[in-house]
Amino acid sequence: MRVSGKIPVTVLSGFLGSGKTSLLGRALRQGALRNTAVIVNEFGKIGLDHHLLSRVEERTVLLGGGCVCCSTREDLVAAFLELLRRASQDGRPDRVVIETTGLADPSPIWFTVLRHPVLQHHFDVERIVVTVDAVNGLLHLDRHAESVKQAAVADLIVLTKTDIASEASVRRLESRLRAINPAAAMMRTRPDDPDAPDLFPADRPLHAPSRALSEPSAPDRPSPHDGGTRSLSVRFDRPLDWNAFGLWLSMLLHARGVDILRVKGHLDLGGDGPVLLNGVQHIIHPPEHLEGWPNGERCSKIVFIMKGIEPQQVMDSLTAFQHVLGAAPERLADAEFAV
Amino acid sequence: MCVLCSGFLVQEHWSDVRTHPVRDREVTVGGPESRDRRRDRWMRMKMANAILQVYGLKLDDWNGSKYILRDVKGSTEIVQDWGELWPAVEKLARRPVDPLNPDFLARLKAAGGHN
Repeated sequence: MRVSGKIPVTVLSGFLGSGKTSLLGRALRQGALRNTAVIVNEFGKIGLDHHLLSRVEERTVLLGGGCVCCSTREDLVAAFLELLRRASQDGRPDRVVIETTGLADPSPIWFTVLRHPVLQHHFDVERIVVTVDAVNGLLHLDRHAESVKQAAVADLIVLTKTDIASEASVRRLESRLRAINPAAAMMRTRPDDPDAPDLFPADRPLHAPSRALSEPSAPDRPSPHDGGTRSLSVRFDRPLDWNAFGLWLSMLLHARGVDILRVKGHLDLGGDGPVLLNGVQHIIHPPEHLEGWPNGERCSKIVFIMKGIEPQQVMDSLTAFQHVLGAAPERLADAEFAV
Repeated sequence: MCVLCSGFLVQEHWSDVRTHPVRDREVTVGGPESRDRRRDRWMRMKMANAILQVYGLKLDDWNGSKYILRDVKGSTEIVQDWGELWPAVEKLARRPVDPLNPDFLARLKAAGGHN
């Protein structure tokens, strides 16, 4: 359990047939998920037995603005409230895993947990894990916008079926995924992997990418098939003013929130440690304060993953706001984005 | 619940989360913390006004609990936080706000960008 006392929620997403259920089944069998409540949208072939809390039919309610990311998944609200009711009788679970359908957009789940008047006090989205099929992943990214969106919002991308894909094609896929989402941690897995992939680390700070992106990657090279998905990694030379940054980002999200698929990073606000920033489209997770600096490096680094917005537009805006923000932005190559 | 205006607040806007761990308490009673909070609000307002002047608008504090957004003709909007600010700006300015708009950025630079 974390300091906040809230039950961590892991969202497990991935395109159709990308191995979500196999991965979850393996993690459950290997005991990595003791005392975990599992919510699934559809029954897979792998039995989840007694671990299965409930199966829900996806039921999304669009709210006022009609923006898809700010919609409540009523099915999940009902499942979570039922879970709370049971927790008061049988004890609370250590975590919740939601396995989505292959075509699901993870952002309404993020919105539902962080904004529901009851759920926000009991649950917290810890990370979004997305499985990508090493054999068909490139094809899915080319043909299905859902697949690109899932990769763009991921905290951790797990490449599955790497045993039946060639090393060259896996590398191509990794490079493509890094261009879409330079902030996500990436790992490979195969069906005969003896260890369940490390999906649920307990010793890492919330939302921080699990490792530095040390391998050089294609710098922000958009693929014609990625639906205009671009990323921008920015560093600031001096501590930022939180009030000013909040003003700028709230303005950006108001105007372009639908197109800011993910914003993530750590901010140097002049304190003893960084403040973690983590958002999916319009919704920003309540910022959290960390005790120490990652890698001992004191600075602010932010990555924006956007659709239909050129990185230079954001750089121009940050530069124009630099007197208010208190620091000048410097654009980084994606490989330099290491939190 | 706000005792002054009986407004019911379900959600604290993320930009209102205090990022300093020492001050991160649920209740502010008085003393130095209260002064810090008022100073913080004043700084926020000053920064917001540096941007809002581009739209011909001005933000004032209301009893340390809400903000009042005004245009030059005297129209007002009550604003709780930065989540409510931008829709209110669009309503009074009668145009969309966009921090990526080159015209807006040029006007912000011309206005000085800061006080």
